[in-house]
Amino acid sequence: MADDREILREIWEGKVPVCFQLAQEEVYTGEQPDPFFLLVPRLSYFPLVTDKVLRHMMKHVDPEHHGEMWLEFDGQPLKWHYPIGVLFDLYGMSTDLPWKLTVHFQNFPEEELLRCSSKEVVQSHFISVVKEADALKHRGQVINSMQKKDHSTLWAGFMNDKFDQFWSVNKRLMENSGEKAFMFVPFRIYRADQIPVQKLFKPCADSGESLTLRHLLKTAVPELMETDALISSRVLIQGIEPPLDTPVCWLSEHLSYPDNFLHICLMPRVEVES
Amino acid sequence: MSDKNDDDAPPSSPTAGSASTENAGTDGKSPTSVDSPSVSPAPGATASTSSKLKSNSLKVDILLKPAGDAPIMKKKKWTVDRTKKISWVSDFIKKYIKSEASESLFLYVNQAFAPSPDTDIGSIFDCFGSDGKLVLHYCRTQAWG
Repeated sequence: MADDREILREIWEGKVPVCFQLAQEEVYTGEQPDPFFLLVPRLSYFPLVTDKVLRHMMKHVDPEHHGEMWLEFDGQPLKWHYPIGVLFDLYGMSTDLPWKLTVHFQNFPEEELLRCSSKEVVQSHFISVVKEADALKHRGQVINSMQKKDHSTLWAGFMNDKFDQFWSVNKRLMENSGEKAFMFVPFRIYRADQIPVQKLFKPCADSGESLTLRHLLKTAVPELMETDALISSRVLIQGIEPPLDTPVCWLSEHLSYPDNFLHICLMPRVEVES
Repeated sequence: MSDKNDDDAPPSSPTAGSASTENAGTDGKSPTSVDSPSVSPAPGATASTSSKLKSNSLKVDILLKPAGDAPIMKKKKWTVDRTKKISWVSDFIKKYIKSEASESLFLYVNQAFAPSPDTDIGSIFDCFGSDGKLVLHYCRTQAWG
């Protein structure tokens, strides 16, 4: 269990300013609706925070021809089942703020996005990822020892922005000592236009040495370490670039998303023009 | 993990582990059968064996087991490309058990969690495969939360 509560708090409070604009070709009322501005939590998912955007935009689209709302940035449809912070690190990091997203109600890109008919779909996705994380950390023993109401408390704490309520349950999932020490660290590595990388990674070597972010990258994306590609890459977790010699255990305990996964984005380093 | 019927699949499919299945009409959508050993000993052909090994490493074995009232699949063990998605496996099972495309089907790993439909089989295999195969349970209703 993490001891740096302030860090957990800072991460919890991370937000991204977003400007939502209805796709021009879908404006039905003749007049482009005003853009809608929101400050959204990095840890959340878009379907949990865009009710107001939906209501605002719905008035301006063809009532007969509209489907599920979906979001796009610069031609890239955004997957609702990735945490907002992951999407921002992956696609929005080098753009001006607020992050300008386009709202669509037509031409749902079935090939790229999953459907999300309700918040319950988000909940079942979230709980499933938490279970997967615990399968990796504790062979699923912690999550299986919980009752349904613990799952509900975890979800409600997350969804209603109740830090203490969420951590009252999450601390058990983050238990990392003695018999409950993490077997493997749940992580996913994202790069634009590639499928995410997920592998087994033990937080400690057999010698007992703590393994670092550098070790993890070496295991998960060896091609990156063979060349000097790493020098030209930014390694982002929660929007920050942790030193590569940070122990992975520490990262997992402090910088994981509420789904208990460490989501790592690899971005090409943009040359700063002088 | 083991099932006494694991190897109770129909007799051999000569194309196992080699042919590309993409251009074989509708049937080409099926995973390759794994009834015969996947790397056949090609005498005197070291180069072709190694290239075969390479192409085989792009595929993994999965074992499909029913849960709840889902019908049993007569053939349970299949070889699929690592890059195939969970949604593809789910569509394949639906076709095999003659379930309507609109009906839901849930796939579970470790009898514990349902990976998101866009997850690639290779990653799940790397993390949750054991004894050289990945066991997936399929179910018509949500089985494990």
